[in-house]
Amino acid sequence: MLGSRAFALVASGALMAAVLSPLARAPADDGFPLSTYPMFAWPRPTALTMSYPLGVTAVGGRRYLSPALIGTGEVLQARAIVERAVARGGPELRALCEAIARRVAARPAYDGVVAIRLVTGTHDAVEFLARDRIGMENERARCAVERGAR
Amino acid sequence: MSASARAARWWFAPAPAERLAALRIAIGVYALVYVVGRFGELQAIARLPAAQFRPVGVVRVVGAPLGPELATAIAAATAVLLVLFVIGYRYRSVAPLCAAALLWTLSYRNSWGMVFHTENLLVLHVIGLACAPAADAWALARRRAGPPAAGYGWAIKLLVALTAATYVLAGIAKLRIAGLGWIDGELLRNQIAIDNLRKALLGDHIAPLAEPFLDHPSAFTAFCALTLALELGAFAALLGGRTARLWALGAWGFHVGVVLLMNIWFPYALLGLAFLPVLRAERPGAWLIGRWRARRARAGNSRPGGPVP
Repeated sequence: MLGSRAFALVASGALMAAVLSPLARAPADDGFPLSTYPMFAWPRPTALTMSYPLGVTAVGGRRYLSPALIGTGEVLQARAIVERAVARGGPELRALCEAIARRVAARPAYDGVVAIRLVTGTHDAVEFLARDRIGMENERARCAVERGAR
Repeated sequence: MSASARAARWWFAPAPAERLAALRIAIGVYALVYVVGRFGELQAIARLPAAQFRPVGVVRVVGAPLGPELATAIAAATAVLLVLFVIGYRYRSVAPLCAAALLWTLSYRNSWGMVFHTENLLVLHVIGLACAPAADAWALARRRAGPPAAGYGWAIKLLVALTAATYVLAGIAKLRIAGLGWIDGELLRNQIAIDNLRKALLGDHIAPLAEPFLDHPSAFTAFCALTLALELGAFAALLGGRTARLWALGAWGFHVGVVLLMNIWFPYALLGLAFLPVLRAERPGAWLIGRWRARRARAGNSRPGGPVP
């Protein structure tokens, strides 16, 4: 049975029907592994509002801080950590700011950074990336980077 | 000859057992490395708060997350089954179990608020291989009897069809969601811009070609037109031969483009596994085996008492 043509036809037909079955669903009704594959298809504005940490140098310059300094290796998780802290505010936001400041203080590559700002920014993605035009930023928390003797 | 007879002749055109076996080994090794490499992440996911649980696919049968120990044990069992799948041990019973375990493990990983589209084809290929006599060559406990009545070619065509179907679906999704206007490139440019901005603000690497291309939006029209042509024309891969290889090269190039513009990696496609069924996948293995046999024969000849040249 397993090696027969009938089995091969049934197995092939069933698997292909399953893989093509998302065509009967709404495109937004994604699944796994039977997906509608909607990535890159949705219209999106170029404006983005999100929260993120910034390093501030002694002369007022800005440094973007990697996900590892936020407490994870993943960009999306880093974003979730910051957004959650901003949404909860108060002690949790302060604690995140100070945790980032401690990690920055321990990295020689960030020696010039004297303070951390947690901000919510709204930027036009094309203007920001192609023309270096920074949008509006609202400061949510700020804390100093304190370095002991190394 | 009737159309159905011609279709059957095409679908069941013969192919060597070694080609299907090479696909089993290559795809199985990739799946094994993938699961083992992400084992720490799978363990961490198993401990996420239940509030984040958004079950997809087969995971919908459970109403709540599994206990962390059980979820981790299933991931570990998946890795063990993949080892057996690769070596072809008791394939008829192991392969379906392995496919089911991989389906569960990766569905569970995708059940926490974000569906990753990088793993779908891997799971579908392993399911396809599990339905096929893919351990009739290059396997432990190799089957000694003759080839099965259906042969091996249909299973390879099924893997090609699965690959093609995923690309066709992606193309149709663009037309269903955005219409033919998707080709003008603005929508894709915005996606690329937003994705890279998010990375930039979080201190991650942005894609190397994102900035120069964002200032030249007309380039996106060409990229979009090529993308839709590749996706909607994916079933051309079933024609085999040069047409299939050209399509595979184009689709691989598309994924390279996605890396250069978005820094998003589809490793299964970038490493060529997604397109391996359109190639003569058995050749590297056959070449290695041939070399090994030749070396053994030479060693046997040079031993005292061995054949005199």
